[in-house]
Amino acid sequence: MKNTVVDISALCDNRGIQPPGTEGDYGFNIWSNTFPAEELPEPGSLVPVAGVPFEFPARPAPGGDNIRCRGQLVPVPPGDYDWLYLLGAAERRTEDQVLLHYRDGTVRAEWLRMSDFWPQTEARFGEPLAFRTSAMRYPRHTHPAHAPSIWQQRVPVTVPGEITAVRLPDNPAMHVFALTLGTDLEARRAS
Amino acid sequence: MRVELAPVRYWRHDLGHCLHTTAGVLLDHHGLDPIEVLGAWWGFHYPGDLRREEYYLPGAAESLFTGLAPHHRISSRWHTPADAETGWREVRAQLLAGRPVAVAADNFHLPFRPAYRDVHTNHLLTVYGFDDEAGQVLVADPVPPAFQGAVPLAEFTAARDSGNPVKHDRDLFFTANPIGNRWLELTVEDRQPAFDQDFFRHVLTENQRGFTDPADRATSGLSGLRTFLTSTIDALADDAGLVDEMFVVIGPVLAVAGLHAEYLAMAGRRFDDHRLLECARLVDRVCHHWAALRIAVATCRADRAAAVPSLRRRAQRLLTEHELVLTEIDRVLA
Repeated sequence: MKNTVVDISALCDNRGIQPPGTEGDYGFNIWSNTFPAEELPEPGSLVPVAGVPFEFPARPAPGGDNIRCRGQLVPVPPGDYDWLYLLGAAERRTEDQVLLHYRDGTVRAEWLRMSDFWPQTEARFGEPLAFRTSAMRYPRHTHPAHAPSIWQQRVPVTVPGEITAVRLPDNPAMHVFALTLGTDLEARRAS
Repeated sequence: MRVELAPVRYWRHDLGHCLHTTAGVLLDHHGLDPIEVLGAWWGFHYPGDLRREEYYLPGAAESLFTGLAPHHRISSRWHTPADAETGWREVRAQLLAGRPVAVAADNFHLPFRPAYRDVHTNHLLTVYGFDDEAGQVLVADPVPPAFQGAVPLAEFTAARDSGNPVKHDRDLFFTANPIGNRWLELTVEDRQPAFDQDFFRHVLTENQRGFTDPADRATSGLSGLRTFLTSTIDALADDAGLVDEMFVVIGPVLAVAGLHAEYLAMAGRRFDDHRLLECARLVDRVCHHWAALRIAVATCRADRAAAVPSLRRRAQRLLTEHELVLTEIDRVLA
């Protein structure tokens, strides 16, 4: 598999990962809960999840560390990809369509299904667990043994072609922390 | 004296709130399958009776369980004791009689809740025992972080007697509504309908009728749902209070749909009917629209007018897919 890691930091608009002892404009969900930063990699780290490398958390950016999906267009290095891999989590499970933009102007929709980040809630869509912290942060305290999750989503590119951009769903219950595009070279050689 | 009623087991559905969770625990205690009972009804009825409670169910304020499970012989009645002492005496008497009950409680006073000593909210949980000598009450609360065990009677009493005031800027949806020591008496008749094909067909037929031919088209059924969504979204830019109203109403509507999807899937497996499994998946898709709409509403406070076009698109997609489900269920019933 050839992987292309996408830098999404410029589009991040939500602060869901919070260092200890900090206050301010943090809040992954509508209740302002966050993931403890000390239990996650350093921003800009290249980390493998289920065999796929991701830049996670995103590089430091003024807007935050994840994209709350509101239909943003994510430019990607033009390429003939087979899979979109994401690190994401939702406020209650949900599903929606991403739009794949091809070099020739074609647009095709594919389903993105994202499980709930809430503690003690398993993946609804069979996603591999990417990260689960031991505690969850609240605005004025950190609650131990209350473990929120980030999952790895996989979206197929069902029609081959050169992809130049991905339109995220207009679904603010979805949060995207990282994006990597995969090209399955072995399958192509075999076919 | 010590009383610990059994069985009291963990039960939770991921799209449910404390209402469905507590109901599931109590139904399980009575030997009923929570999905069979709580998942049977799917409908919409919102007569404008909004309450700032995590356990609010539109249109069912006085008999929550009748609203949750109208296809079964189950009902409930709220008790509103005059004071905390009377409230505990009544609940203790129920436990002595072998009946676990649901009580309203403010999480601010419950040591196992993340809101403990932080913010106030109006929660519901099961009480299944007590220990007079230890000064403890046994409670079951599967809402994450799940807890089942003893809490000090003093804290439990404070939680039930709380004025539930606004503190800080969180949990505003369910604050400013005094708890009032309320507790819920549940009545489960001995004979309940069997989950067979005849009853299942009856359930689906009644649900379809509720959606397509409701008693009050303005507040109920698919027409009432459409009215609720269009009228609130149309007025949202000029009325900040509609954010809370939509969020609080959508919560239980989402939970009801999620449980009905489980119910259809269970029926599909039991009756070996792939069309039912497909209907279950379609209902789940409606749930996922509700999940999106719920958060879209909750995050639109800063600029409500700007959010309206997106909310309208989501509501339209939800209604379209809702109609599709009803069409598919009609095919099952044909």
